[in-house]
Amino acid sequence: MTTDTAKTADTAKTMDDAKTMDTEKLYAARLHAVRVRPYLASALFALHVVECPATPTMAVDRYWRCYVSPDFVARMPMTELAGVWVHEVSHLLRDHHGRGDRYVREHELTGPGVRLRLNIAADCEINDDIYGDGLPSPAGAVHPAVLRLPPGELMEDYLPRFRLGPFTDGYAWLDCGSGADGGERPWDLGPDGAHGLTEQERDAVRFRVAQGINGAPGRVSKGWRRWAEEAFHPPQPWRELLGAAVRAAAASAGAGDDYTYGRPARRAAALPRVVLPALRRNPPRVCVVIDTSASVSDEELGMALLEVAAIGRAVGGRRQLLGVVSCDVAARVAHPICRGEGIPLIGGGGTDLRAGFASALRTRPDVIVVLTDGWTPWPSSPPPCRTVVGLFRRRGGEGSDHTMAWPPDWARSVRIG
Amino acid sequence: MTLDTAADLLKLLADTTTEPRPDPQLEALTLAVAADLPVLLWGEPGIGKTAALNQLADSLDLPLTTVIASVHEPTDFSGLPVIGADPAVHGVPMAPPDWAVRLATAGRGLLFLDELSTAPPAVQAALLRLVLERRVGALTLPPGVRIVAAANPRGSAADGWELSAPLANRFVHLQWIYQHEVVVRGLGGTWPRATLPRLDPDGLPGAVAFARRAVCELLTARPKLVHQLPQSETKRGGAWPSPRTWDMAVRLIAFGTAAGTSREVLSMLVRGVVGDGPGLELLAVLDRMDLPDPEVLLADPAAAVLPERGDLRQVVLEGVVEAVRGNADRERWEAAWRLLVRALDDGAPDLVVVPASELAGLRRDDWPLPSGIERLAGALNVARRAASA
Repeated sequence: MTTDTAKTADTAKTMDDAKTMDTEKLYAARLHAVRVRPYLASALFALHVVECPATPTMAVDRYWRCYVSPDFVARMPMTELAGVWVHEVSHLLRDHHGRGDRYVREHELTGPGVRLRLNIAADCEINDDIYGDGLPSPAGAVHPAVLRLPPGELMEDYLPRFRLGPFTDGYAWLDCGSGADGGERPWDLGPDGAHGLTEQERDAVRFRVAQGINGAPGRVSKGWRRWAEEAFHPPQPWRELLGAAVRAAAASAGAGDDYTYGRPARRAAALPRVVLPALRRNPPRVCVVIDTSASVSDEELGMALLEVAAIGRAVGGRRQLLGVVSCDVAARVAHPICRGEGIPLIGGGGTDLRAGFASALRTRPDVIVVLTDGWTPWPSSPPPCRTVVGLFRRRGGEGSDHTMAWPPDWARSVRIG
Repeated sequence: MTLDTAADLLKLLADTTTEPRPDPQLEALTLAVAADLPVLLWGEPGIGKTAALNQLADSLDLPLTTVIASVHEPTDFSGLPVIGADPAVHGVPMAPPDWAVRLATAGRGLLFLDELSTAPPAVQAALLRLVLERRVGALTLPPGVRIVAAANPRGSAADGWELSAPLANRFVHLQWIYQHEVVVRGLGGTWPRATLPRLDPDGLPGAVAFARRAVCELLTARPKLVHQLPQSETKRGGAWPSPRTWDMAVRLIAFGTAAGTSREVLSMLVRGVVGDGPGLELLAVLDRMDLPDPEVLLADPAAAVLPERGDLRQVVLEGVVEAVRGNADRERWEAAWRLLVRALDDGAPDLVVVPASELAGLRRDDWPLPSGIERLAGALNVARRAASA
């Protein structure tokens, strides 16, 4: 009896201990995180701490409040706690709740496990590049390797590739809060609670962090650099961009549907005293130059070629007005498509893009569309027609990106894939 | 079934109610229209852009004229040349179409140019003059006419043309995003009703001064932002910074300030004229202008009110230390310490660490340690623990 009471008293005492949070340790951890990741300083300082014993660990909500369990602070070493700070703020900076909501809506996902899966996928996106370099990875953090998935991808890429099962059992306790996966938590203070950030304030913080990273990219990990580049300009699907570029090129000056006073309008007879312009169809002559090495996948090349062919038809080009100049390696892909679409294949231009331009210009096109990986010499002067470049991302390491020869200014470039 | 019964059923279906609901999109649209700037609404087809325009016209008490830009010919906007008896004497007048004449006669109205992005280039070129100079052929639209246009994002415009950069530069671009709850509730019979902003007549001069100061402060520091033609393929056809759009930004901030609108709405408007990057930088300037002035804080540390948000508080404390560094004497140095101690009272201790160590570095040998500095011990503990890692 006495031992029991003593035990109860003892438990009560440890409970009491757990309830008073070691704020000094918590803030020391934040300071440490700021020292090793200075570019995240304004985001880390913008988080408002809410002491919350109901939270299993540390959790954030979409209004940039950070719910901290005193118990968790007590049992984590300081440097690992710093890693958790960075982890939680990463969920918010990368807008995981917004992206999670969109994903759930688009795929009409329902069920209790969805938010846990979102949380795991979001953690995979974060954890493969925020740790190291002064921040030890906390024990039990999800890493894509644990789910047998490759690192370096986005939450949306990971989501469809795993189900809850034996690999994820260990993470059922995982809870980074509504800021990570969009699902409301019982402890959330909600939009009307104190110390929340408005959408504009959140954007402002994210913008400051992105500017800091873009200003001094040397010390920043690849994942953060990519985030900063795309934070306010998410990449658009290349089909739309290529389509818009080709359409704009085909529509300008002298080609496409447009009005002209050069010939009388059909309505003119009804309005004898009025001079009307006529809608005149002047279909553009489009020539596609395919210059590629084996580094470009056949699938992407085929899609791009079909896309251009479809646009060519949409802007009014007849088949004989769409030509393809192919280099030897690409002929394997271009031939079957050209035969299938009834497009004349004009013949090999060699492996030098300048030769490809020369044979394309012999067809006197209005628009030249070049599909290339960019690793090629370019003509020194602009051709006498508009040029759109579809730039394939080179396979094999992103490090090669900055050594890539960029297309000249007179061409409109669209990154493909 | 007779048509009478059908009419009854239709009447029942049309019988919907409204409820008040804050709508930042509509508020932004109203402010831009009030500021007499042409607005371009970007949104997928069928998400209620026209309905919003109807509501706006109702609440501003303006008759609405809708012109579908893509089905018109360029002459409908630039005027039809009509050859008179003696062109050498009278010239060839450019006759305006009927809707323009009716608008001009009425003297006021809301002109809605729909499907702008599907209009062919020659029509877009003719629209330039209408949007910028409000001229349709020989006719000038009176000042009481406001212009709103709508376009589909190029992904969803099946055979859309791209908006040319000069035309894009004349508009306030607003993204029209449909809200799931609003649509579901609306189909259930209850549509939202927004309360529209009202301008405060006493605050007008202050609002203008504020807006001019903000934009000038930013452009003085960042001359590169004055004019930037969109280069990357993703940004084409959208808002971009030029002296024209900065002038629009001044106007919008002045209107927003006079109407007391939220930063949310101001953010949509400013980013809608100068683009996301420059717009966010301008908003950062506005945020900074809201922060307390370091000199005021140093003059009376006891009365200082520091911002609640940690990151802003950090900026203020750093500003205070910089102010002391720029003009250091013992009194200012001690005032800065008192401010740091105050910052500890109601904020996180780690924020104080960096400013405190910098302030300590500014000490001259003959200055004694200020009183109350022992209260910073807790913050120093935090620093020590962080450093021990």
